[in-house]
Amino acid sequence: MDLAFTPEEQAFRDEVHGWVRAHLPPEISHKVHNALRLTRDDMQGWARILGKKGWLGYGWPREFGGPGWSAVQKHLFEEECALAGAPRIVPFGPVMVAPVIMAFGSPEQQRRFLPGIASGEVWWSQGYSEPGSGSDLASLKTRAVRQGDKYIVNGQKTWTTLGQYGEWMFNLVRTSTEGKPQTGISFLLLDMKSPGVTVRPIRLLDGECEVNEVFFDNVEVPAENLIGEENKGWNYAKFLLAHERTGIADVNRSKRELERLKRIAKREGLWDDLRFRDQIALLEVDIVALEMMVLRVLAAQKSGRNPLDIAGLLKIRGSEIQQRYAELMMLAAAPFALPLIHEAMDAGWQGDFPGGDAGLAPLASTYFNLRKTTIYGGSNEVQRNIVAQTVLG
Amino acid sequence: MDFDFSDDQEQLRDAVRRWVDKAYGFERRRAIVAGGGFDRAAYGELAGLGLTALTVPEAHGGLGQGAVDAMVAMEELGRGIVLEPLAQTFIATGVLARCAADAVQAAWLPRIASGAALVVLAQQERKARYRLDVCESKAASAQVGYALTAHKNIVIAGDQADAWLVPAQLGGAIALFLVEKGASGVKTQGYGLQDGGRAAELQLTDAPATLVTQDGLAALELAQDIGIAASCAYAVGVMDQTVRLTADYLNQRRQFGVPIASFQALRHRMADMKMQLELARSMSYYASLKLGAPAQERRQALSRAKVQLGQSMRFVGQQSVQLHGGIGVTDEYIGSHYFKTLTQLEMTWGDTLHHLGEVSSRMQETAGVFA
Repeated sequence: MDLAFTPEEQAFRDEVHGWVRAHLPPEISHKVHNALRLTRDDMQGWARILGKKGWLGYGWPREFGGPGWSAVQKHLFEEECALAGAPRIVPFGPVMVAPVIMAFGSPEQQRRFLPGIASGEVWWSQGYSEPGSGSDLASLKTRAVRQGDKYIVNGQKTWTTLGQYGEWMFNLVRTSTEGKPQTGISFLLLDMKSPGVTVRPIRLLDGECEVNEVFFDNVEVPAENLIGEENKGWNYAKFLLAHERTGIADVNRSKRELERLKRIAKREGLWDDLRFRDQIALLEVDIVALEMMVLRVLAAQKSGRNPLDIAGLLKIRGSEIQQRYAELMMLAAAPFALPLIHEAMDAGWQGDFPGGDAGLAPLASTYFNLRKTTIYGGSNEVQRNIVAQTVLG
Repeated sequence: MDFDFSDDQEQLRDAVRRWVDKAYGFERRRAIVAGGGFDRAAYGELAGLGLTALTVPEAHGGLGQGAVDAMVAMEELGRGIVLEPLAQTFIATGVLARCAADAVQAAWLPRIASGAALVVLAQQERKARYRLDVCESKAASAQVGYALTAHKNIVIAGDQADAWLVPAQLGGAIALFLVEKGASGVKTQGYGLQDGGRAAELQLTDAPATLVTQDGLAALELAQDIGIAASCAYAVGVMDQTVRLTADYLNQRRQFGVPIASFQALRHRMADMKMQLELARSMSYYASLKLGAPAQERRQALSRAKVQLGQSMRFVGQQSVQLHGGIGVTDEYIGSHYFKTLTQLEMTWGDTLHHLGEVSSRMQETAGVFA
């Protein structure tokens, strides 16, 4: 047992550290470090910078043009990006659909779709949830009917994150109503510019439009956009879930935000308030414990000796921690977290914020926004079902 | 970064686990508790397994193994809630090997390694709570060595030990001494503890003592940190077994015509127990791996670990009793003994609030949370 990264891993970290700090535009990291509003251009701009370096598909194997990094290297890359204040990589293309295309797509589909994902040129969205299918995803109803060399798609997806920017969308659609619900689902790639696609942003409780409803009205999708076999889509979706692994704990971002919480507490005169400070200390312990759990999973992947089945725990704990730091940041600002001035969350805003510190403007917004973390990606209650299964059978 | 155990460590684990399963069943433990909470024969069996020699340097007849090996042994002893205090042996070994003069090491470490001598730390005083720097015991120079006057409380296996490590004031600072059983002016009075183990009051009146180190506070901090790491590992074993017992019970107990393991309220509680167990295991690794770090870093890390373990132990222990229903609060069921052990462990080497205070006061303004 050894807590230290190997000299090779450390050298890798140093390389990534230097490169990210040299290439991440300071106006973008300023926004991330202060929870200011990111534009589509901010997100895609960083994606293109990474794409040029060949690091946007940082989890990709070499045969598909990826860097072929180990699990530990991927973790270190994510950590260096998070700590530097890089926007989170929008995962739907490079992290989610790409591995499915690599594993189950045809060579033609791989040639057609992977380059645009790797370069960050094409914005992908995810079409999973539906109004009637959340935790019970397999009950989804969006219908795709084969007509000659195309599918006709009708139905509705929802909670489509950043779908307002989406150009392509990977969807779970129902191609059969025979047998178990899981066996009638297919994995279909869809051009969002197709006639019959309507995207309607959903305003969330923080006032932002981070998710969307997507409606399909007789949308024609060429049959060549089907991944793998018809009615096998559920298997591909499960493969994709297995691909998420340790990233879901988001421990690196929580480390960065813990630092920010400490800065806010200092500025608000709470650093020497023991009641508040102890709450930060407790969160710090939670984050160290989560990090140790993440490192255990990574080490197990690295050695291949003792596989750990604790991914559900990582999601539960990681999301709870994200909510906690946001809560403490908001509480630190006292009533100055309460003024709702949307423009104050834009970089460079010059208006007067009540009390004079516009840095407090996004705190409540972030708190409200992060309530999503225990709901998305399989709600924490669903995760507990999964964990209980491993303990109780 | 590597969290695998070596082949030797796996063999050590197997050997200790086999001994616990075969030789330290609930009936024997019950008899040991009834007999006062400490069995020298059982301690001898630990020595026979090589555990008392595990961390003693090879030069002094030990096996020269490290903190992770000690952790593995403690986890397995925890699984069987073994009462004989091997943690005290790791503490005495670590403190003597790191802080004592060669002659003191040569006199005691080989006997500790063989199991011939049980040496325990006697630091608790009535007014100290969990603070190490509160000490009213007094040491004075004598013709040969020193003379100690002290009243120490809750000394683990205190009336069974062959020597005590005793902190006392000397010239305005705390120094650490060794006092031998049979010395003049030594009185002990033993009693049982909530977990079934044994402790004693130790009263010294001008008792002859050997100096271990002038820098007693640093030695006490080291002792405490070794104790925390050992307790964390032991607690992981206790909790691992507690989760197992509880899962078995939920699968076997039927109400309303079905196993109660089918009820989601109970399944989610079980998931939360598993969460606390794995967080605790992660921080137990952290504790043992940080034991060799520089003192400041070590102190901070070990307090973090104890904060996590304290919370985990309380949750797992309390929920295990709850999920067992009535049987969980009976003495005849082994689960209640696991719960009492966990409760006592939280209050050993500083409870959760105490160590939260330590973490809080040592907290860096930057993130500073990197493993």
